[in-house]
Amino acid sequence: MSTDTETRLLARPLNWLETRSEATFAYILLAPAFALLALIAFYPLVDTFRFSLLADQTAAADPFGGFAGLDNYAALLSGEALLPQQFLDPSFATPLLQQALFVTLAFAVISVLFETALGFGQALILDQDFYGRRWVRVAIIIPYAIPIVIQAMIFYLMFNPTIGFGTEFMQWLGVFGENPLANTTDSFIIVLVGDIWKTSAFMALLILAGLQSVDRQLFDVAKVSGASPWQRFKYITLPLVAPALLVAMLFRTMDAMRIYGLIDATAGCQTVPSMSCLVITALQETRRWATGSAVAFLTAVVIGLVVVVYLFGLRDQGAGMT
Amino acid sequence: MASVTLDNITKRYEDTVAVNDMNLEIRDGEFLTLVGPSGCGKSTTMETVAGLTIPTEGSVHIGDREVTDLPPKDRGISMVFQNIALFPHMDVYDNISFGLRLRKYDQTEIEERVERAADVVQLEGMMDRMPEEMSGGQRQRVAIARAIVREPEVFLMDEPLANLDAELRVHMRTQLQRLHRELDTTIVYVTHDQAQAMTMSDRVAVIDGGALQQVAPPLTCYNEPDNLFVAGFIGSPAMNFMEGAATDDGFESRYVDVPFDPAENGIEPDQSLTVGVRPEDVYLERDQELAAEPSRTYDAIVDVLEPMGDEMFVYLLLDEDVEASAEGRGAGQLLVSLDPDTVIGEGEEIEVVFDRSNIHVFDSDTGEAITHRLR
Amino acid sequence: MSDVDADAGAEHPDVAAQAAATVDEPELDRGIVEGWAARMISNPERAYRAAFYVATVFFLVTTLFPFYWLFMVAITPRGSLRDVGVFTPGGVNLAAFIEIFQRIPFHRYMFNSFLIATVATVTVLIVASLAGYVFGRLRFRGRNLLLLGVLVTSFFPPAAFFIPLNRLFNANVDVLRPILSAGSLYNTPFAIFIPLSAIYLPLSIFILMTFYSQIPDGLEDAARVEGTTRIGALFRVIVPLSAPGVATAGVLTFITVYNEYFFSSLMTNGRPGNWAPMLEGILRYQGQFEVLFNLMAAASIVAVLPVAILVVVAQEKIVSGLTAGGLKE
Repeated sequence: MSTDTETRLLARPLNWLETRSEATFAYILLAPAFALLALIAFYPLVDTFRFSLLADQTAAADPFGGFAGLDNYAALLSGEALLPQQFLDPSFATPLLQQALFVTLAFAVISVLFETALGFGQALILDQDFYGRRWVRVAIIIPYAIPIVIQAMIFYLMFNPTIGFGTEFMQWLGVFGENPLANTTDSFIIVLVGDIWKTSAFMALLILAGLQSVDRQLFDVAKVSGASPWQRFKYITLPLVAPALLVAMLFRTMDAMRIYGLIDATAGCQTVPSMSCLVITALQETRRWATGSAVAFLTAVVIGLVVVVYLFGLRDQGAGMT
Repeated sequence: MASVTLDNITKRYEDTVAVNDMNLEIRDGEFLTLVGPSGCGKSTTMETVAGLTIPTEGSVHIGDREVTDLPPKDRGISMVFQNIALFPHMDVYDNISFGLRLRKYDQTEIEERVERAADVVQLEGMMDRMPEEMSGGQRQRVAIARAIVREPEVFLMDEPLANLDAELRVHMRTQLQRLHRELDTTIVYVTHDQAQAMTMSDRVAVIDGGALQQVAPPLTCYNEPDNLFVAGFIGSPAMNFMEGAATDDGFESRYVDVPFDPAENGIEPDQSLTVGVRPEDVYLERDQELAAEPSRTYDAIVDVLEPMGDEMFVYLLLDEDVEASAEGRGAGQLLVSLDPDTVIGEGEEIEVVFDRSNIHVFDSDTGEAITHRLR
Repeated sequence: MSDVDADAGAEHPDVAAQAAATVDEPELDRGIVEGWAARMISNPERAYRAAFYVATVFFLVTTLFPFYWLFMVAITPRGSLRDVGVFTPGGVNLAAFIEIFQRIPFHRYMFNSFLIATVATVTVLIVASLAGYVFGRLRFRGRNLLLLGVLVTSFFPPAAFFIPLNRLFNANVDVLRPILSAGSLYNTPFAIFIPLSAIYLPLSIFILMTFYSQIPDGLEDAARVEGTTRIGALFRVIVPLSAPGVATAGVLTFITVYNEYFFSSLMTNGRPGNWAPMLEGILRYQGQFEVLFNLMAAASIVAVLPVAILVVVAQEKIVSGLTAGGLKE
């Protein structure tokens, strides 16, 4: 009896929905998704920008002071922000790897280049038919699926001077100093290696999708006309997967520019200050929330600019991207 | 059982009009076919009856109920789809009983009804098959069982035979007619195939450009088409058309002239006319006694012969300088259907006559029919 | 398939070379390496196959070795941690796998992570199903603009949302007082799963949109004529028929939420009773006086097992999901 009234109560709005026009129906069904996105993304983004225009108030209960215009941005972009690390220091008085913008961009460019090259290699292997391919594929994907904190733990332990062999090895190569996880350059390299280890697999998967959509007959045609495997790769595989490759690189770059967890759990945000790191440092170390908001908004802007650059690249490629 | 009434139905999409001000009454128990070329709006019309499309303007009644704003499930209809649309994740029993289960019928009633429906379409013993394990014809029968099991007031069938092979299509055609006789329910049937429309329906509604062209029994559409579109669409092969104008003593065109008294036929001098003659209403001069009212003779040259077994299609050129078009239906060309035993050769010069009692005259400007029988 | 062709093609010169070797005396003088090199040069396909195997082994070693080494650290007794080699442990003692649960309630951290990931997955699947249905199957004004809005959210870094959210979740909301003792969302699972649901929603929308759009219109129409509402048709017909896509979106969401670091580390104070997720647990072994490296390693291995199992079971789905979501743009 009670379930019957329940279903009827549920049925009434559903019936009402039934007779709405297609557009109204669409908007109503999208409401939950957009409510969630508005609460977690759109509104905070706007608020972040609003906060970034206020002054810092490190001693008061409310961390935000009065309206300060673009002062926070001016300080951040001139290297005069009152933070342990700088966002950008045009005078280069701050070492490059203590400037969040450079750390992040350098990290993104280098890691994406390595990941693309290695991912391509992995994808070419996974594209072959061979005995045990399923297990090789699992092995190659696994790093992608492991939690960031565990990825960080592996490299933290590996380069820990007491127990890890990594430091000794790198010192033997003459690259690292005494305690690499406290040294900015050494830590930067460790974070890079850790990221490349984990995310090459992601690139591999996206590129693999591109490879598998290539018409196999094209290879047979090329083979018959006497192309060597290298020529087949250069003249058929590469041009045909180029769009997929660019999309994959776009996704990876966006992701690389958000780097936080791997740094936080290995070297720490002070040693390798990425842009996201700097936001948290500003909040937790200096209680400069307004400056932190400005860093956060700049992070979004920088990522937005990079996306735009990629989209132009994709348009030039012009290959079937809508 | 119920009638279906469409009042001033218009369906507009962003920049196209799919159905334009349609008024149509489908009678209780009738088998009515909506027929027309693809994109003519016949499917949209049916969807407004089903409730799958909400018309921009106008109203739909099923029986005495206005259903314009009711969702499909509350309209008392069932439908058979072109792509059969069996739920691939359910077996035959679950497919057929889906609607009954949604309506919370009790178990024994569902079982009885499913059994009866399966019996009608001869699906006994296949209840636990999955759709993918069945042939096209079997799937179609399941779809029909799913439609009849709910004993709806109106059946809608949207090109249900289009995806079947030719032999099966003919077989299912008779099955559907038998079904209609047994169930005695209103059936609205959509097809682009005029042969299906002709053979199965009580009445045919010919649609073009989102508008009704003619609603009449199949033979009426065939013998007395209301306009040029219907005349050209119904009948296979299609009617021969000749464009010209009225003179004081008849019709004149480049290759053919037909003498008649304009006043008696309701035609004004100088009116532009199109004269239509069906291939089977053209006779060889030597057989002219077969025609009810033979016309004057016309000279022609045999271009191509197409013996079909039960009849023979003969493509004629009405003059030596006529260039044969690829379809064989251009100006100066004439398609004739003759007895297959007729002795005739390609290139032969012959004389033909028309049956004046079956000459259709249309106003070229409006396309409307003026007369179907010359006086 | 193509391998067979390659091998068949490779056979001929090879057989010819062997035949030549038995006849021609000088061939026998060649060393093994020289002979191998000669064969490689005469038959490039074979060289490529060799390179293929070398590369495969290289990738397998580089991806799997860190796990192996982590295990070596985990089974080394604390006193011998200095003796951990590249391939060998400093000793063998599996007690660490028990000790991780005794030192801190690591199981509680794991439970918290599981709960958060499960709730986020269910939320995402429901919300993304509705949105995926709309984007995949309905035509309406503003569709492309709204889709772009979804896409754009996935561009922004979580850091750009963090500060307002942090304030929001720390704010005391009186309405919440009866449900949450503190009256704020900080230190509750909500503070983690709500942001993460939103952030990983777009990927699922893209995956489900692709799958839902492939279900023939006729099936939805048939369900509606048979007696369901449009929503009913979605959950009775479209979703079941898109089961692989739904599974893919679910597995990916679960893994990414379970793996997430940013919000997971910032939205609680790290106490297990305050719903801190697994990552806080692992970092907890970094005590005040000593760092329990072997326990960190052991806890990491325990925490990685669920996702590792998921990957083994659902690798096919992860691959198809990432590619569907990634290439749809």
